[in-house]
Amino acid sequence: MVNDTGQLYTMEGVAAGLIMLLTAYIVISTTSVYTPGDTHITDMQLEQLGSDVLAMMDTPDTETGVSDLEVFVDHNNATGFEATFLDYCNATTGGAVDSLHMSATIYYQDGDEVKEYLFVPADDSWTGRESAVRATRWVQLDERSRGPPLDDRARAVLVEVLIWRD
Amino acid sequence: MEGLNEEGQWIVLMGLLVAVAMFFLALIVNQSALVGQTTAEGVLEFPKNDIRDLRTEIFDCVDEFGDTVDADVKKDIVVISLERKNAVVDFSVDPEVEISGGRWLHPVKIHYNNGVTVYDETVYY
Repeated sequence: MVNDTGQLYTMEGVAAGLIMLLTAYIVISTTSVYTPGDTHITDMQLEQLGSDVLAMMDTPDTETGVSDLEVFVDHNNATGFEATFLDYCNATTGGAVDSLHMSATIYYQDGDEVKEYLFVPADDSWTGRESAVRATRWVQLDERSRGPPLDDRARAVLVEVLIWRD
Repeated sequence: MEGLNEEGQWIVLMGLLVAVAMFFLALIVNQSALVGQTTAEGVLEFPKNDIRDLRTEIFDCVDEFGDTVDADVKKDIVVISLERKNAVVDFSVDPEVEISGGRWLHPVKIHYNNGVTVYDETVYY
């Protein structure tokens, strides 16, 4: 005959088994703790945003026009570049503006060497410990008398922007 | 255990079920961080913007120089790509050919390899 006198003991056994499994799982899984900062999700979003902003700045108004980015680099207009870049990437659809900061460096070829110069220096929020990301954009400069460090020949330079959130 | 009272069994059982359910929900929350990480790393590792930007730059070159791309500008792109983007880049622009009745376009061959992603393209521009 089947009776149910042992039911509670069975339940107890199952519960004890689950608790032991749970303990073992927690012990093993807590050897690594992931925080959102470790997972590069914000880095990915920031890098995408930076690339998009540079792409916007590199898009001329008209088909034959010259893009803002090319004018800023060609005429060494660092303040204009910084203002436009921060304006685009701090824009939000509502509420307070975002608090992104940037610095920019331009890489160019001189002889057989790749040289760089600081285009936009970092502002006071830079401590060196920010989780900054890098976005880059090629700029094609026409032949023109523009003085050092970029001499007169037509050249391709790489604009590198570091972006970080305060 | 003669005096064992079994009237509370269902409550104990329900409590256990709720505990197990919460455990699995916690497991899902835990895994979401890992899923986000693999996604974000996949996006960061794939040089989508680099390749797009390289194509735009090469098309700018074609706009400016046609099929006789300035050797110095080409060297700028190849050398700076290797130095700053860790990518082996090469491209060539051939003289215009007739495409689909009356359109004359330059065949542009683009090669990009950063050790993880290899991209080759022949585009008529």
